[in-house]
Amino acid sequence: MNLIKSILSVVLFVGFTIAFTGCDEEIDPLPVVATTFTNLAADPGTGFNPANGQPTGLTRKFTLFSFKTGEIILNTDSATNKWDLGFNGTSIIVNSATSGPGSSQAQVVSGIFDEYATAPESGYKSDNDPAPIAGAPNANLAIPTGSGQGWYTYDGVNMVNKPTAGKIILVKTSEGRYAKMEILSYYKDAPSNPTFNNEARYYTFRYVYQPNETSTFN
Amino acid sequence: MLIFAPVKIVTSSISCLVLLTMLSMVCFAQKNPGESDTLATRQLDALIVTATRNERTLGALPMPVSLISKNQIRTIGSLRLNDILTEQTGLVVVPQVNAQGNGIQIQGFNPDYTLILIDGEPIIGRYTGSLELSRIAVGNIKQIEIVKGPSSSLYGSDALAGVINIITDRPQGTRGNAAIRYGTNNTLDINGDIGFIKKKLGVYVYANRYHTDGYDLSPQNFGNTVSPFTNYTLNSKITYKFNSVTDISVAGRFFNEDQVFRFEVESNGNRTRTSGNGNTRDWNFNPVLTHRFSDKLKAIARFYSTQYKTETYLNLETDGSRYYEDDFRQSFTRPELNAEYYFNEKNILTLGGGYINEEVQTTRYGDEEKRSQETSYVFFQHEWLPLEKLSIIAGGRYDYNTIYAGQFSPKLSSRYELNKKVTFKVSGGVGFKAPDFRQLYFNFNNSAAGGYSVLGTEVAMDRLAELDVAGQIQAYLFDPAQLGNLQAERSVSINAGATVEILPLLKMDLNIFHNSINNLIETQAVAITTTGQSIYSYRNILRAYTQGLESNFTYPLARYLNLSLGYQLLYAKDKDVAEAVKSGDVYWRDPNTLVTKRLKPSEYFGLYNRSRHMGNFKLFYDHKPSGWEGSLRVIYRGQYGIGEIRGNIQGEVIPPSDTNSNSILDVYDDFVPGYALVNLSIAKTIKHSLRFQLGVDNLFDYKEPVLIPNLPGRLYYAALSYSFSK
Repeated sequence: MNLIKSILSVVLFVGFTIAFTGCDEEIDPLPVVATTFTNLAADPGTGFNPANGQPTGLTRKFTLFSFKTGEIILNTDSATNKWDLGFNGTSIIVNSATSGPGSSQAQVVSGIFDEYATAPESGYKSDNDPAPIAGAPNANLAIPTGSGQGWYTYDGVNMVNKPTAGKIILVKTSEGRYAKMEILSYYKDAPSNPTFNNEARYYTFRYVYQPNETSTFN
Repeated sequence: MLIFAPVKIVTSSISCLVLLTMLSMVCFAQKNPGESDTLATRQLDALIVTATRNERTLGALPMPVSLISKNQIRTIGSLRLNDILTEQTGLVVVPQVNAQGNGIQIQGFNPDYTLILIDGEPIIGRYTGSLELSRIAVGNIKQIEIVKGPSSSLYGSDALAGVINIITDRPQGTRGNAAIRYGTNNTLDINGDIGFIKKKLGVYVYANRYHTDGYDLSPQNFGNTVSPFTNYTLNSKITYKFNSVTDISVAGRFFNEDQVFRFEVESNGNRTRTSGNGNTRDWNFNPVLTHRFSDKLKAIARFYSTQYKTETYLNLETDGSRYYEDDFRQSFTRPELNAEYYFNEKNILTLGGGYINEEVQTTRYGDEEKRSQETSYVFFQHEWLPLEKLSIIAGGRYDYNTIYAGQFSPKLSSRYELNKKVTFKVSGGVGFKAPDFRQLYFNFNNSAAGGYSVLGTEVAMDRLAELDVAGQIQAYLFDPAQLGNLQAERSVSINAGATVEILPLLKMDLNIFHNSINNLIETQAVAITTTGQSIYSYRNILRAYTQGLESNFTYPLARYLNLSLGYQLLYAKDKDVAEAVKSGDVYWRDPNTLVTKRLKPSEYFGLYNRSRHMGNFKLFYDHKPSGWEGSLRVIYRGQYGIGEIRGNIQGEVIPPSDTNSNSILDVYDDFVPGYALVNLSIAKTIKHSLRFQLGVDNLFDYKEPVLIPNLPGRLYYAALSYSFSK
């Protein structure tokens, strides 16, 4: 009896454990949270030329970022699929096709970041795929460059790039995981009304990375 | 204007009287001397030519028309056209930054969409789109007629928002006038006119010299907001009556203006001082021959030729070297024939046709080559009075042009007199604006920091190909092959209103309008150069609408004291933006919290530079027996937004209203606050000839140095004039 009882309790315990663990997996997964990354330096240079306003001392290198780690990936790892996005000035590349060895893809959609609950199945693009217009190496990035084309709008009066309200960048990483991000500022410390005197080429963005094999963001 | 000329053979003047009585309810008032003394009634009786190209009484017209009389212009002490237009209901004089021009906004349309005529002929020199209204002196203006709503059915291109026709004085007996006025900013205006009629010959000459030191709204910065300028205007009109059925009028105008500039500019990253000169010159020549073949048929042959020229240069003050140079020449020549056939009391037909040759030559098109455009057109108009209380005017015009597609612009207007107190008016029509020379031939490169190029559609393909071959194109943002031919911008509009005598002598005019505008031309980013400069061209991409209502009340408070109130409500929106907002696709980001929200339809304010509300309150006192007259006017303009204006006012950037990263004007953006201007004037005339006037404009010295650069502070003035007539 005792033995049966104890076996039963073991079974029950195991059963409960399985049941609870199952619950954790399927009904109440670890909630994914929005993280804000501030001041990602996207080749800010060392100064600027007063004659033409162009930055000087540029490295021309992209600053690489991984959603999985939430950290910057060293350029020494640029030939790996450790990174998802790369930033240089207003250009953002994804780790695929002409930009890297991975298979990261992205698309820009419209919506409210918090309300955007599910990543769509399709619509993602690799960089410069299909091939870009001749002589224009970055004319067909997954995240288009240019004012009003992708994520920002140029304010010609204040001479600043403002992230366009309601633009969300969706990324499907090389591991097939989804992330959504919203760029909030292109200037150091995200001032509320930047002018050309603010230090440019510093990204502040919010993102949600879904580590699990699901396209939902909650 | 020689339409129903003052001298007529007896029979035609009788039939004309009959017609005018038919057309106008107000003619009844004329018979009753007790009522005819109010400003409103006199205005309704006034003859207007702009609405139909024939003289008709204002009260009888089926479309929204208003009139500014010589008296009103004198009483408020206006000198230039912008002074008087800015006080009219629904009209806004908007500053044109970079273009040093102040244009007029009607029913929410930009200044380029209103046709401005002198004696029925267009003023040219839309150097950067709008006309500089201060080019026109008002001393020789008999009246200004303003027709709102599209009038392309009679006037062709540019008459979408309406037509402003300046009717100048013509010989009327022997008389003359000399006037001098001095005021704030060392503004001195001297003018004189003289006219006589000797048998068959009539002569009228007007001359004006105007000088102002301009004004400086930001004394902490170098240079003036408006630089000093001096101009001269000479107008003449000669009339000759060959016989009782044929007469001719020859009018001419000459205008010259010199402006002395001192600007601080940015050169190689340093601010440096420049000085220079701007010269503007225009002249025109306008003979009009009128012949009455019979009591029923009258024909008019008109010829109009005009030229406009402006040259500007700036030199660096350090070494005198040339910093900037710009010139622009335009000419416009038009012969036109039209005839009016009077079938009977109930049917009048007008037919006409003409040809326009327009030429432009400017450094801004990259070369000094002459560009020309030719347009041929025919128009018709039928005035029909099927019932005693109902009148209908139907008309249309076809313009043929080699560059843009032919344009047919119909218009239908109707007026119904319910009773002596209530009259309804409805009119609908189509207006168009041809692509201008700039949009076709611009080849402009701003090579300064953050520079850009703008290419007209006729030159864009070739220029881009050149750059591409030279390896200077980094990327195409738009397929240049799809730029194609620009089409004319078109509007379809409806105006509906009523004139109601609410109480005895309290009159209300109400007009509700809707303008639907398609094919609006806007800059399109086409490519980026290897140095990161954007290249723009033009495309018919925008669609917009403007709608609202205008109402005017007039009431004689006392025998010599008239009160008028005016109000305009305006909604002017980009159709695509309005639709996107409606479907929830437009967002705004709070600049402080950086939180993005969806914009609600009620939160989209509309197009830049449009005030939702504007109004005026005016009191006019005119006591003929004692010679005293005076006025108090309060002009209000409600809040509005400012778009991205890539220029500066005395080195200060003009902050755009959009602050929340959606490139549209919504209620969360920064607005230019609404403001009211108070203007006063008083005058005394002695023995019908000597007149003194004192006045102050902008009594409370309202200023917005950067946002409203065309608003000087308080202006005092004193004037003296002497007139005689035999």
